Amino acid sequence: MRRRQFLNLSTAALSGLALSGCGWTLANVRSTVQTADDLLYIYTWAGYTDRELIEAFYQETQIRVIADVFSSNEEMLAKLQAGAGGAYSLIYPSDYMVRRMIDEQLLLELDHDRIAGLDSLFPSFESPSYDPDNRHSIPISWGTTGLVFNTTVLNPSPEDWTYLWENQQRLTRRATLLNDPREVFGATLRMLGYSYNSTNPQEIRAAYNKLVELRPSIAAFDSDAWRPQILSGDLKIAMCFSSDANEVIQEDPDLAYVLPSSGSSIWTDALVIPRTAPNVDAAYAWINFMQRPEVAARIGERLSFATPNKAAFAKLPESVQTNTSLFPPDSALEKSESLQPIPPDVGELYNRYWTRLTSG
Amino acid sequence: MSVSPPPSETSQSPNSELAWGTRWLGVTGLLAPAGLWLLLLLVLPTLVIFQLSLVPNIRPGDVVIPSGIENYLRALEPGNLGVVLRSLKLAIGTTFLCLILGFPVAYWIALLAPQRWRNLLLLGFVLPLWTSSLLRTYAWIAILRPTGVLNSLLGIVGIPGLDLLNRPPAVLVGMSYSFLPYMVLILYSSLEKLDRQLLEASADLGATPLQTFWKITVPQALPGIAAGSLLVFITSLGDFIDPELLGGASSMTVARLIYNQFLGQTPNWGFGSALSMVLIFAVSVAIALLLKYGDSSATQR
Repeated sequence: MRRRQFLNLSTAALSGLALSGCGWTLANVRSTVQTADDLLYIYTWAGYTDRELIEAFYQETQIRVIADVFSSNEEMLAKLQAGAGGAYSLIYPSDYMVRRMIDEQLLLELDHDRIAGLDSLFPSFESPSYDPDNRHSIPISWGTTGLVFNTTVLNPSPEDWTYLWENQQRLTRRATLLNDPREVFGATLRMLGYSYNSTNPQEIRAAYNKLVELRPSIAAFDSDAWRPQILSGDLKIAMCFSSDANEVIQEDPDLAYVLPSSGSSIWTDALVIPRTAPNVDAAYAWINFMQRPEVAARIGERLSFATPNKAAFAKLPESVQTNTSLFPPDSALEKSESLQPIPPDVGELYNRYWTRLTSG
Repeated sequence: MSVSPPPSETSQSPNSELAWGTRWLGVTGLLAPAGLWLLLLLVLPTLVIFQLSLVPNIRPGDVVIPSGIENYLRALEPGNLGVVLRSLKLAIGTTFLCLILGFPVAYWIALLAPQRWRNLLLLGFVLPLWTSSLLRTYAWIAILRPTGVLNSLLGIVGIPGLDLLNRPPAVLVGMSYSFLPYMVLILYSSLEKLDRQLLEASADLGATPLQTFWKITVPQALPGIAAGSLLVFITSLGDFIDPELLGGASSMTVARLIYNQFLGQTPNWGFGSALSMVLIFAVSVAIALLLKYGDSSATQR
């Protein structure tokens, strides 16, 4: 009898929980965490900060920085939406994600009076389309998506995405594309003469068919593991981000990076302060520190990413300023676009084609 | 994994009400921590996932109101069903490989190896689990890639190289390597209890070693084989890292598909939850089969 009572009670309790759960809101981001004034949690990409930078910041401000890293914008957003990002006062999302975070009201509007050196940004970064007038974000680095290849194996050098299709015989299972539906479809769309951000189902289908054609050449869809394999010669060509390409080229001068001639994507990573930031003052201190030309130049050189800051660019050694994989000529950039947010139903379409493409 | 039958209703002892009360307290004390743990971290989350799976096209910020089974219908579309089937095939293949590789080893350690080595040998099998699985998978990339360790060795012997990396065989290799220790440990604990007198009796009565193996050893090890296979099957069905890093362009598995629904570019938590429920269902069926067949043979002894 007693046992039965207990069972009844617990079922009642459970169904009560389930019922009261009926009206909950998915991924409601709230501020939950308090941190000390001299502690700044930042959420950034691997390779964007190092000990030297954090140490220099500490010497100057007495604020200790703790950096966590994410490997994709979506991973970062999911963590915030799951409620586990409350400690971060500063985040490094990319352009389209900045837009999305603004739309979802996750970001604090920045007080430009508290930020020095905004006038030294290159004109193209003064009012980016994802965040007009940089109201919520400060661009910190930029780059492109392209192809890294072995110049001794592939001669003449690839110049465009079409190279992959025209040389399928030589590339069988020796090429990788990014593990990223938007970039892979975008590049193919661009090659076909459409927009990187196409929302037209017919165009997306055409790109899918083109990619199915290419499948025998593609060893993997892979954003990281291609590095050791292209260095060892197991891969002949890999689709990658310019900053990553620059790193492997430093290890092996036979490798080269090309920004495809029919156009590609330009990405910008920016600094933002989430609404839930527990330590806004320290976040501003970090932004101001990163805006300083000497700091931006040194960190850009050491960690090999391109700076959107004119004053910092001027302080770079000439060998870096003329590095075309970091700073491609304007002619190549003209045809490129930045990734734009797309409506959810079009995203679903990309998603479905991607599942089909990757399940052979 | 040791699956014990649920505690059966013990017959009411003739003791007084007080003794019954203290015993009930003892049972509560023993079960409450694990029960609470299961309730908070398994039952409740599963209910939340189930609830989410009934909301088509949910977006972050939406209110969760179950309204239909579209997500399940979508999970059963040919493309997605194909992904589930591929995962099942890989998991079954891995289980089979682990059994074939693990049984002789466990048999040797349990019955033939000198007593004083046994613990050391078992430790040796568990040792790889002390490093990160991500690291071990990267090591397999270095071994299996076209100019990797394996092909260099084959080249020395004069055998033409194998192109394994970024193909399903590489996933099988990676997963069976990852999960072999579980299989060996479980088979070992099952074979260790083997009644050797039965083996001797069988030989005395004129059975060949092969007959003895199939008729005496295997039946006694059956619960271990079932438990080990099930553990490997379930773990490899949910494995994410090996297919992602070793499988190449055409290696979408259900675990990766679920990942894409939560952390991909177009998150669809409802659809991801439906896929998770399908996976949970598949695993539950496997466990039910084990309870029915695996353990009944254990209780017969």
